[in-house]
Amino acid sequence: MKFGLKLAGALAGAVLALASAVNAEEWKPSGTLKLQIGFGAGGSTDTIGRVIAKVMKDQTGWNIIAENKTGGGGVAMFTGISKMPPRGTVIGLGVNMPIMVNLVKRGDQLPFDLNSFDYLGTASRAQLALIARADAPFNTLAEMVEHSKENDGLAIGFGAPPQKLLMEVVNREADAGFRFVSTKGEAETQKLLLGGQVMAGFSSGTHIKYLESGDFKMIAVANDARHDYSPETPTVRESGYGAYVDPYYFFATTAGTDPAALAALTQALDNAINSDEVAKVIQNAAVSNPLNLGPEGTKKMMFDGVENVKVLFGE
Amino acid sequence: MVDLATILAGFADAFTLWNLLFVLFGVVVGQFVGAVPGIGPVMAMAIAIPFTFGLDPLPAIAFLVGVNKGGLVGGAVPAVLMNTPGTPDAAATAMDGYPLARDGKPLKATKMALFSSVTGDTFSDLVLITVSAPLAVLALRMGPVEVFALMIFAFAVLSGLIGNSLIKGVIAAALGLLCAMIGSDPENYTPRLLFGYWELFDGLPLASVAIGMLAISEILRRLSQIQGEMKGAIEVRDTGDPNDRRVTWAEYWACRFTMLRGAVIGTILGALPGIGSTAAAFMSYATAKSTSKEPETFGKGNLHGIAAAESANSAVVGSNLIPLLTLGIPGSVGAALIISAFMIHGIQPGPLLFQDQGRLIYGLFGAMIMANILNLWVGQAGLRFWVKVVSAPESIIFASALLLCIVGVSMATGGIFGVAVMLIFAGLGYLMTSYGYSVVIFIISFFLGPRFEVSLSQSLALMNGDWTQIVNYPIALILFVLAAVTTAWFLSRRTPEDPGASVSIED
Repeated sequence: MKFGLKLAGALAGAVLALASAVNAEEWKPSGTLKLQIGFGAGGSTDTIGRVIAKVMKDQTGWNIIAENKTGGGGVAMFTGISKMPPRGTVIGLGVNMPIMVNLVKRGDQLPFDLNSFDYLGTASRAQLALIARADAPFNTLAEMVEHSKENDGLAIGFGAPPQKLLMEVVNREADAGFRFVSTKGEAETQKLLLGGQVMAGFSSGTHIKYLESGDFKMIAVANDARHDYSPETPTVRESGYGAYVDPYYFFATTAGTDPAALAALTQALDNAINSDEVAKVIQNAAVSNPLNLGPEGTKKMMFDGVENVKVLFGE
Repeated sequence: MVDLATILAGFADAFTLWNLLFVLFGVVVGQFVGAVPGIGPVMAMAIAIPFTFGLDPLPAIAFLVGVNKGGLVGGAVPAVLMNTPGTPDAAATAMDGYPLARDGKPLKATKMALFSSVTGDTFSDLVLITVSAPLAVLALRMGPVEVFALMIFAFAVLSGLIGNSLIKGVIAAALGLLCAMIGSDPENYTPRLLFGYWELFDGLPLASVAIGMLAISEILRRLSQIQGEMKGAIEVRDTGDPNDRRVTWAEYWACRFTMLRGAVIGTILGALPGIGSTAAAFMSYATAKSTSKEPETFGKGNLHGIAAAESANSAVVGSNLIPLLTLGIPGSVGAALIISAFMIHGIQPGPLLFQDQGRLIYGLFGAMIMANILNLWVGQAGLRFWVKVVSAPESIIFASALLLCIVGVSMATGGIFGVAVMLIFAGLGYLMTSYGYSVVIFIISFFLGPRFEVSLSQSLALMNGDWTQIVNYPIALILFVLAAVTTAWFLSRRTPEDPGASVSIED
């Protein structure tokens, strides 16, 4: 009996999968498909989003336009998407960290939660590193903490809240006395590093050229895994602090979207992300590789990520 | 160091027909979108970037640089002809450009804008090509404390723009700073003055505020003054004097020091990321006015006013590329878009760029020089076209400009929210002008506000909250003293009953 049920279930599953595969072939957006980008023109998210939209358009023949919806690192865009009727005609491209930070910090003020969306996949994971000038008198996070304690604090440049939160964990656990200098992004952080105004800072890829030129060195990796271009640098977690920052570029649409539409959108995105053109742009603009976790993987990443952000806040 | 053969090969690349066509195309597109109210070169570049992916790097980047440079020339057109600047830096051009156009000399005014824009641009390009490396090192020395002091100095120079009433000027500046606070604080990213609108988290959209206050409020004013008669939005009076339709060499040469000073101000501010062309244009204008022998003619169609503003705001564009190419740091949104175009092609601006891509960079320099020449050439033809267009009945011109601004802002800000903000600020701008508060002062402090706050918080973090440590920053100290002296000097020269002291946009 049990076997019979299982068989029936498997059969039903197969039929459903087949049906949705067929539907995925047939479904296409009614009218224009909008790819909304949660950041302004000119950044890495914008560049990746615009090229994915172009490749998807070429591959599917759908009419796709990319548009920027700025505000709160994607919060404004996802607020809009969460309130739309689920027609499958608008997808959002955002970065997970600002969404999670806002959900943890002021979730009661937001009109959405993690269940307000159907997740479609990820484009890539940014490789975030803690760097210092090559002539800095420390090489590891432990030495940096020591140096800070001996010198009445040490200035760190950060371009986004999670970076500061990560170092505040170190401040809490080791009483390091780091001071934080807010910048408008990693380019400005690097300027302050080169000018000697800050001793360390965060960067997600554009520092690699400076590693080659011998201006910067790696202190620690902010992600949960080491970076392929610098496998000898340990993560902050490996250095003894229980937190990490894993920024993903992810796609989502309104919860309750027709499964056929979801299947078609997921497939179309996956095809685009795996194209050579997009791979090249991700390597060039985000100094990382394409990485699509798929719908289920993306959802898991978002839910697990919120728990990690609570650790960052010391909750 | 790049060897001569690479430099020559790079320049040779720029002068191939194929690459020149892309520069020309970029300049034409840039001048067009710059001149159409509400669109602007930044949006044109953002849209064009994915399409440059299939091109080789040089034509792709040359095209974008062409759009950027063409946009600057184009941006002066609506400011001068209709008093509806689409960007705040063009507002400085409107202060003398529009009165001259209203006097029946629109071609003279726009041509002066074109010539001084190309002059300032070429100056800063030459600085970029010859001495970018040492300038970049100097820019690195300017840390947050020095930038903060520089911004205080900029505000001090801008006090030269305060009109008849000191208190009204201060109120306008304070209001601008207050509006700049909407969004989130730079330290902890706590939402501030959002009132539930998450769209405001990154601050009020710049395009909405600038176009609303500067362009729409003027359009509304002009529409409200139409009294049933058909007349052109601008009248080209035939005075019989050909000099009213052109800029003579003597007139151009008389402005040489004004343009040189503007170009130097623009080049210095452009090399420091984040301050931008608006401050440059107004600082240049304020300096030109206060050093002039006849400051009362400013705001009434003085060619020096146009020359000062346009040479400075155009000079910013070339020197913006100094931190971009040598350090990979964008100085403006336009520069950020050029970086992303570099990065799509696998080229990362920064320390190794001149070594790795010397030929491409000198190709780009060649393309920039060509873009300046083409700008002059296309501009000469284009200006006649725009003057003709604006001679159409004002009921048509202003209604279409209104429509274009709404469409442009909704595209730039991604929806109707930005349009609503624009209309609110149009109303505010209308009221402020009607009651004699300077919209220009408001806009400048609104634009400089966010950078001002970031620099302040950075400085406080670096000095550990202890202002006495300022003695360790001699450059900053000098700038503070200069700021105090400048303010005192400007305010002592100001005589309340002198109507010429007012340079609000209305005049």
